[in-house]
Amino acid sequence: MLAYPLIAGVLFGLYFSLLGIGLNLVFGVMRIVNLAHGDFLMLGAFVAFGVFYLLGLDPLLAVPLAFVLFVIVGIVLYGLLVPRLQQSRDPEMLSIILFFGLSQVIEALVTIAFGTSERSIPSRELGSLMTAAAKALGAKPEGGPVDILGQSFPAAWVISAVVSVIAIGLVYVYLYRTRLGTLTRAVMSRRDEAFATGINVDRVCAAAFGIGLGLAAIAGVFAPFMFGSVTPAFGADATVTAFVIVVLGSLGNPLGTALGGVVYGICYMLVQTFLSSWADLLPYVLLILVLLLRPSGLLGRKVRVA
Amino acid sequence: MSPDAKPILTVNGLVKRFGGFHALDGLSFHVSSGEILGLVGPNGSGKTTAINVISGLYAPDDGTLTYDGASIGGLASHKLVHRGINRTFQIPKPFLSLTVRQNVEVALAYGRVGVAPPKLSDLLEQYHLAEFADRPAADLNSSQQKMLDLVRALATRPRLLLLDELAAGLNPTELDWIAGHIKALAQSGLAIIVVEHLMGFIEQITDRVIVMNAGKEIFEGTLAVAVKVPQVIEVFLGGEHGA
Amino acid sequence: MPSFVRHLLLIVAPLIAAFAILPGVYDNHLLLFNFVIFLILAQGVNIIYGFTGYLPFGYVGFFGAGAYGFAIMVMHFQTPAPLAVLVAGVVGVLLGLLLTPLLRLSGAYFAIANLAAALAVLHFVANPALESITKGPYGVALNGTFNPTLAYVGAVIILALTLGIVVFLRNSSFGMALQAVREDAVSAAMAGVNVVKMRVIAWLASALVAGLAGGVFAWYVSVFYPDNVFSNDFSIFAIVFALFGGVATIMGPIVGVLILYGVYNLIGFTTPQYFQLIYGVLIMALVLFLPAGLVSLATRRGWNVP
Repeated sequence: MLAYPLIAGVLFGLYFSLLGIGLNLVFGVMRIVNLAHGDFLMLGAFVAFGVFYLLGLDPLLAVPLAFVLFVIVGIVLYGLLVPRLQQSRDPEMLSIILFFGLSQVIEALVTIAFGTSERSIPSRELGSLMTAAAKALGAKPEGGPVDILGQSFPAAWVISAVVSVIAIGLVYVYLYRTRLGTLTRAVMSRRDEAFATGINVDRVCAAAFGIGLGLAAIAGVFAPFMFGSVTPAFGADATVTAFVIVVLGSLGNPLGTALGGVVYGICYMLVQTFLSSWADLLPYVLLILVLLLRPSGLLGRKVRVA
Repeated sequence: MSPDAKPILTVNGLVKRFGGFHALDGLSFHVSSGEILGLVGPNGSGKTTAINVISGLYAPDDGTLTYDGASIGGLASHKLVHRGINRTFQIPKPFLSLTVRQNVEVALAYGRVGVAPPKLSDLLEQYHLAEFADRPAADLNSSQQKMLDLVRALATRPRLLLLDELAAGLNPTELDWIAGHIKALAQSGLAIIVVEHLMGFIEQITDRVIVMNAGKEIFEGTLAVAVKVPQVIEVFLGGEHGA
Repeated sequence: MPSFVRHLLLIVAPLIAAFAILPGVYDNHLLLFNFVIFLILAQGVNIIYGFTGYLPFGYVGFFGAGAYGFAIMVMHFQTPAPLAVLVAGVVGVLLGLLLTPLLRLSGAYFAIANLAAALAVLHFVANPALESITKGPYGVALNGTFNPTLAYVGAVIILALTLGIVVFLRNSSFGMALQAVREDAVSAAMAGVNVVKMRVIAWLASALVAGLAGGVFAWYVSVFYPDNVFSNDFSIFAIVFALFGGVATIMGPIVGVLILYGVYNLIGFTTPQYFQLIYGVLIMALVLFLPAGLVSLATRRGWNVP
């Protein structure tokens, strides 16, 4: 009875980690609240729709496409918005309003282009390429649901979780094993000192911003499978959910976000299973409680108290 | 007033920990009205932490603070201000968007109660801020911001004033000028504790110094004597094992 | 003449008089009513954001709670409408008290937690499990108290009260001390200011006016759903209006509402997504090019704006 929600919670949780990690990177590095984070998820979902419905390909192929596309979009947007924002007196607060404006623009443009209807992709199409390849190699294609510990789950959930783990792993490698990543961590911990030591903070931030949006877009590719369907208005709720996950974990720590995502995923599934009428309240109440009781997040050390 | 009078502030066995680090580790000293006491010691010896605990920024973990016969350990800053304790900051943080005048007006309105406040225009005049009175504090340079910080403290009519690195960054003329002001304040009856790195400045204004190392006092007396004590010399020449 | 008398005579009195007379000469009473509501909310945001620096991103929580406070009093206790509006104000203050711990958070954390709080209240009120009390997601209909004329008068009175609070803040050492706390809490404490008490008072004053506005709104419209009165558009509009004019002044939010809400109604509602697009662009331009609001055009020239 408990096994199903727990395992589903872990699968969803790993996906939730991916959903939050881009936001974490952007806020951790730039102290910018990307209130349009969820809208980039939504755009990622539309990349998946395009790959599947226009090109007729496996939506999984949308992952690299969405990532590259939105890294570029992110770097361009960074140059247009952030340096100017940083000149103002209260960039952290004003970023909330600026990126709210951006989220409105994105939502409006997508609505104008594609209408407000709910869109989805049949669940079995995700990973169809792999199934076909397996067939060509003479293996018995799996397709259909996947069995884990005697419970069966949609294959799309498992694929999303696996891709999420890979993506988070790559973020970890980026931050801890590359030069730009090391500089990124330096900027995260002490922005003013990083400036003083001659780090090209703008370059580090632009990269982090691009990667942050790219990760959001990847998460978006899986959104139709994890949430059933996506509309242009999907972004706002996704942003709040991402915030809960980031806050649950801790700022500037990708492993923290992974943990935050899993904790959130398990709570989410347990509440869905046993207290479904109150499930909507969960993210908000959880967010407030964590902020008040453990303001540094589950793994965090940073203080964020007035 | 004689420096031998009953102390206005007595610090006894003060302890302040940050995690496992003992920033203050049993500090004891006292200061009397009309006296200027210097707190000196190497970086990290706990001077600023001592000021922060006395002014209520941090609650002490152990030990007692007796001010004017009452225990004040752990009281909130604004309550200490109302009782007559005030301070300046190493890096002053004035209210940047308010004018210089408004900066002082806040302190005049919310400072120590039951005492006639000093005249704002006099204060600004004395500390060379009168011409900037109606400009935002953000327009001041760093030494003017330090003076504004001092005026903010004085506007609350303190009886015990803690000065944290007030002299750092001032030129020699300004140093003489501010030294004269600090001495005059002491003569008017304030007890003053000065944290400072500039030894010449300390020698010029203090009646007595406390040399600190690793969170407690290792010497008490005049600076002239202090510089001849081997333990003090060792601490200042880099003996970090004194704890 | 003391400046607060001057401000009352030259700003508040003419504005209140105009809104008292306008219904006689202008037929679109709903529009006038909405102007009054947004003036109240923008000034409410001004009280907490302008004077203390806390960005109330979920400000609508107080408004919606006030609306439901009104509705519950009318539905279950047959309270006369004016009294129920007062209760709405009390509900706003009570919710403010409940959320007081949020003031421990700083910067974006406060804004996000406040948003989460508003959403939590929405999902609580809209929960079908509470249908017997709040009518859940099905909305309320308060036919017995329907009286737009009186409700409008009530709104104008609340506006006068709100403007009175702002005039007081602008002209008192209390308001100056609040701004000092906003600039630097430690220095403010060393000026003798009780930082916590000041913040809580401003927070509750801001909650009070939003609660009252919610109550009078419920009275005016008499039929509404949780999604109407908890729509975060109220928070966003109030923040953007206040910011556009310039916070920590009396005039700024007034000018902001008159211009922007005027523009809003000129563009009209015919194609919501184009409207959303224009609004999004406008918000972004505001943050990037005029972050301190219209009044900064004057203050930059050394003029003092009340």
